[in-house]
Amino acid sequence: MAEPEYTVESKCETTEEEKSSSASSEVVIGIDIGTSQCSVAVWNGSEVELLKNTRNQPLIRFDVPVDNDIPLGEVNYHLSHKHERLSGASILNMKRLIGRVDTDRVVHASNNFPFLVQTLDMGARPFIATLVNNVWKSTTPEEVLALYLAELRIMAESKLKRPIKDVVLCIPVSFSRIQLTRIERACSIAGLHVLRLMPEPAAVALQYAQQQQHMLRDNTGRVSKRIALVFNMGAGYCDVAVADIDGGVTEIKALSGSEIGGEDLLENMMRHLLPSFDKLDIKSMGSLRVAIQEAIHELSLEESVQIDVDLGNGSRLCKEVKREEFEEVNKFIFCESQILIVECMQNAHVNVEDLTDVIVVGGCSCIPKIRNLVENLCEREIYKGMNPLTAAVYGTALEGALTSGIDDPLGDVDLLTSQVTTLGIGIRTNRFEFVPVIPRNTTMPVHKEMIFTTFKDNQTEALIVVYEGESEMEDENHLLGYFKITGIPPALEGVPEINVGMDINASNELSVLARVIIPGSQQPVVPVMELKMPTVDDGHGCCNEVLDRAYGPTLDSMIVRRKNDSI
Amino acid sequence: MRCSYGLTAIPGTDARFFSPETSFLQLRRTFQPTRIKFGSFKIKAKIDEARKEMSFYELLGISETGTSLEIKQAYKQLARKYHPDVSPPDRVEEYTERFIRVQEAYETLSDPRTRALYDKDLALGIHLAFSARRRYQYDELLVRLPFISYLEFSYALQYDETAFASSLVFANVNAGLTNTHNCLESFDVPALLLDVDLEDRSEWKNRWQSQLSELKRRSMNRDAGGNMSWGARMRRQREELSKEL
Repeated sequence: MAEPEYTVESKCETTEEEKSSSASSEVVIGIDIGTSQCSVAVWNGSEVELLKNTRNQPLIRFDVPVDNDIPLGEVNYHLSHKHERLSGASILNMKRLIGRVDTDRVVHASNNFPFLVQTLDMGARPFIATLVNNVWKSTTPEEVLALYLAELRIMAESKLKRPIKDVVLCIPVSFSRIQLTRIERACSIAGLHVLRLMPEPAAVALQYAQQQQHMLRDNTGRVSKRIALVFNMGAGYCDVAVADIDGGVTEIKALSGSEIGGEDLLENMMRHLLPSFDKLDIKSMGSLRVAIQEAIHELSLEESVQIDVDLGNGSRLCKEVKREEFEEVNKFIFCESQILIVECMQNAHVNVEDLTDVIVVGGCSCIPKIRNLVENLCEREIYKGMNPLTAAVYGTALEGALTSGIDDPLGDVDLLTSQVTTLGIGIRTNRFEFVPVIPRNTTMPVHKEMIFTTFKDNQTEALIVVYEGESEMEDENHLLGYFKITGIPPALEGVPEINVGMDINASNELSVLARVIIPGSQQPVVPVMELKMPTVDDGHGCCNEVLDRAYGPTLDSMIVRRKNDSI
Repeated sequence: MRCSYGLTAIPGTDARFFSPETSFLQLRRTFQPTRIKFGSFKIKAKIDEARKEMSFYELLGISETGTSLEIKQAYKQLARKYHPDVSPPDRVEEYTERFIRVQEAYETLSDPRTRALYDKDLALGIHLAFSARRRYQYDELLVRLPFISYLEFSYALQYDETAFASSLVFANVNAGLTNTHNCLESFDVPALLLDVDLEDRSEWKNRWQSQLSELKRRSMNRDAGGNMSWGARMRRQREELSKEL
């Protein structure tokens, strides 16, 4: 598919004076692209400042209405009524769809969106379209995201009165590298350069670290050790982090995350109240969505709520819903989020007693059931003193200030976060076994190597297939790329050493290296191969199958066996 | 064999022929990239070189009897100096390489089990880092024990999350011990140390593990009706599929 080749020019008028001042110090903005809403913040020299749109809103809904041919992001555009947004001409929840193929579970769950998501179940990109004047017009998630980001950039530029190009974004823990490249591409189209992609709970932990540092300085000046658990549940994703904060250094101990969130709560409720909801037309679907979303919000405050919605053609949904009912319908989601917390604590090697604070943020953080379950699991009250909706964007703005090397004479941002990998990266060996070379929760930047060897005598070629994920079965992991090593000198099986190195730099860019060494000589026998991964794209979900089909019978001779490990 | 996919290294070409310009992902950059670029092998060579010169203790600037608190403090201090986020732009490459080494030292020494293994190496006068040592020291042993290797053992210890896996691996090491008498000596101390540690660890793990299994059981135990989320539906489908196979 051809990539849209356009850049959105800055509408910001800069005078000569401003140009010279901006050249001396770059401003890095932090953006939190949420599934349902976005926010932008910047470090202004003494504190984090949230940038508001022309309607003075710090939180901007992520809907992109498509009007005639030019989609207009909702950053500054005013839509008179909610229902208008959901009439089929507006795209939302792009963050759930970006970088996913049409066999993905999340894409399949998108049938309640008030626009078209067509899936052919063949590992290609889903067909996404909006209804404009009775015509389905196609679009892609990154195109929509790019337009939206460009508007955010223009908004930030007009507020800060200087051109903006560097940005720190926060991303869900469960994002694959393929999804990350789509986000980067969208930024690139929007004229933005990604300095860092931070996992959302890590950004929240950074804001917490700054708060703690300030508190300590104001009180005793003594630096003490803190361990915080961050639980972040928004509309599309749920993430957990355990962070160890000591003397301004935030060490992320472990991360866990999954694609569960408010959208799933909504879908479960829709299915519960109207099992045949997917047969509704676009407009009624939109109305139902809005009505149930509002009901869920109210259920956070009330014990029961009345739903009354017109579904067109004379049919109506009129029902009273109790909070217990909502909790029962969604018990799986709540259970799954508990699993994430337990897994994260287990991976971080911490116990409940070790935790200093428990932070709950994100759009779902006001749901009483969520608060209860976190409080019960962690055996303490939830940390107060953080806005649950802006915590992540604060963290990204702080990280932006840190990475741009700002002057900080007062030590306001004397902080450092060490990031960890969110998913393991490894290669396929011994038929279908996945061997992680860089395991999950490894501190970045990192360089790790593992030595593999040939599978049979006189094997001259080896296929290296790189995956990202946690599962021991390769088919559940994301394929990142593959390459073939040729020219291995004929030798007995197990003699040639194939050294596979993986390297992730501070910007989270992965490169994979492979070199062949015959024991006894130090020099590689064939030129070293170095690849930037991923080399496959989000439309290549079928690659895995094709690889198997093309090389299945002969693959055994080409794959390599683990010879020995080095961590 | 037909080779119409992937990459084939052409002898004589530059090893780094797979540059970003020729990759699948062609980002249109309308700006000067400011990202850190470094040749990984250059860094790798430097790390190897440095390993021969300095022990982990020297690297962190602490004594060999240093407490875990001292190790942690030394690490945090060095991280604040060498982490790419805070290092001066003109020395990012050099500092990144140092950060990776400091991180390796910290990870090894902050875990009592890996520290014990490393200390033993030091006592034997092997001034090589952990990974380097494994590669060169135990090759012989590995040939004889293709499936139960010391390396797999320590690997599993660090990354396996179930007490079950740990005990399984532990059993493997015991098997290895009886098989290779001449290697007994090199295994003796760490294996005994680990014995004690594993017990602590599994007890600690069991507490989480039982909670986790209970949660997972509950999440699987839902009615098969339309109330299930996609995740559950897909999981169930997969399970049913695997039962049929």
